[in-house]
Amino acid sequence: MARTMIRRFAFGAIAVLGVAALAFLLEFVVPGDPARAIAPRAQSAAVLENIRIQLHLNRPLVVQFVDYFGELFRGNLGVSYVQRQSVTSLILPRLATTGWLALAGVIAEVIIGGTLGILSTLYSRVRAVVAAVNLVFLSLPQFVVGLLLLLVFGFRLHMAPVTGGAGLAEIVLPALTLGLVGAPWYAQIVADQMADSLASPYVRTAVAKGLPDRYILWRHVLRNVLSPAITMIGMDLGAYLSGVVTVEVVFGWPGIGLLAVDSLQNLDRPVVMGTVIVGAVAVVFFNLVADVLRMYVDPRTREDPA
Amino acid sequence: MIVIFAGIAIAAPAFGNPLKQNLITGLSPTGLPLGISGAHPLGTDLLGRSELARLAFGIRTSMIVAIVSNVTSIAVGAAVGLAAGFFRGPVEAILMRVTDVGLALPYTLAALVIAGLMTAGLTRVIVIITALFWAYPARLVYGEVLRLRHRGFVESAEAMGVRGVTIARRHLAPHVFPLLVTYSPLNAASAVVFEATLSYLGAGINPPTASLGNMISDGQTAISYAPHLLLVPAVAILLITMSFLLIGEGLKARNPDLKRVSWLGR
Repeated sequence: MARTMIRRFAFGAIAVLGVAALAFLLEFVVPGDPARAIAPRAQSAAVLENIRIQLHLNRPLVVQFVDYFGELFRGNLGVSYVQRQSVTSLILPRLATTGWLALAGVIAEVIIGGTLGILSTLYSRVRAVVAAVNLVFLSLPQFVVGLLLLLVFGFRLHMAPVTGGAGLAEIVLPALTLGLVGAPWYAQIVADQMADSLASPYVRTAVAKGLPDRYILWRHVLRNVLSPAITMIGMDLGAYLSGVVTVEVVFGWPGIGLLAVDSLQNLDRPVVMGTVIVGAVAVVFFNLVADVLRMYVDPRTREDPA
Repeated sequence: MIVIFAGIAIAAPAFGNPLKQNLITGLSPTGLPLGISGAHPLGTDLLGRSELARLAFGIRTSMIVAIVSNVTSIAVGAAVGLAAGFFRGPVEAILMRVTDVGLALPYTLAALVIAGLMTAGLTRVIVIITALFWAYPARLVYGEVLRLRHRGFVESAEAMGVRGVTIARRHLAPHVFPLLVTYSPLNAASAVVFEATLSYLGAGINPPTASLGNMISDGQTAISYAPHLLLVPAVAILLITMSFLLIGEGLKARNPDLKRVSWLGR
């Protein structure tokens, strides 16, 4: 088990470094001059040249690359060109804001998806309805679901704020958006796993022993759902933390996705790099956490697959 | 349903000019977009353009993106997967680590970065989708090739001294093909959704060219007084994606062997 963990961790670290390197190179081929972005009205070329020297933009690409990674290993993501703050201090509060939304979104999708999955397995009459609902939400992009919710609950029913922000009232619709779009996956997993274990010998034994249905359901059937669901939750938490860009744009939720979009427009390279790296770390980290948790609840996955 | 959408895409010009602004007749006296009427079956947008014509061209855009980027991303993925699964050793290690990176990329952010490199338009969308969507089919193919790798017919071909490329093409590719065919409608559905997302964020196809995504983005500004500008393209996306997904489900149901193909992550 420990060996598996170490291997996973190493692969994760390699993937993060790969993403970082790729992002760095991409950033440099993006047209546009950061010096121009910092001093949009500068008249003399000397001013722009000075800015470039200050930011080491005049050095060869390789030197900048080595510098950046040297700092990265010391946990330093550099300083924002535009806001003159360290990137870490810009990202951390945003990460917390996005974190709340990610958490609320995952809770919403687990509740909605889990309920749909259980209902469609236990009651054959609602199965078709659940399948239709799943199909609809699989077919819609996140931002469309978000806008529709905003239209109905915000503009028509006046039940939710439409102005953006990061308060308790503002979190409901974006979380619900993530929940609705993510729910079909969970419903699918829950339904598949339940169907598998309902057909299994141990459930037949349990029924034959005369155990109450409710007990069998919770103790024997739903336990099997746990393991794939944990993997899924880990993937989602990571993906959402790396920026639920569209949802944040639709609802004006001031998280890491919105920060990334803004900095991209401002050619604020260090911040874009920072968000991409933090995002990749989040993805890898939560997948890892999910793996550990799954090994804990599901002994079958403890062995090294290799 | 796909046939209908393909028809609309091909016949898009028949639904009128999507760029013509009728600032006089296309807007209400107070300058607001018109609702549904005889002259404009789906009303007009903020610039007095026919919503129906724009919808038809938006659908055309979506269908082109769905088909072209589907082919390109799967082709790249299949090539990588085949190569990695077949040659093993260092080639495999490098290709699969690159695939891991591709799967770990934050999709939307990466798309925005790439978008900054190119000028707006169809090509940009297709390049972005290909760059982000190849990794998953690569994984699928790789897994399948590993399974096939030590089956008798591959090993005997090898023993006969058939060249690697020939084995990959003649013996492995035919087995991988049905898997990819089943996967492709799901891939196309994701591509339609992603195109809309990109264009909505201004990183795909920019106005005045119509795309379902930028139509929604336009409609969003009118959300409080002309919700049909938002709803019409939204319903179109829903129907297109849904029909692709249904085809995918149908293919999966016909071939129980392919149940393992799961929905693509977001």
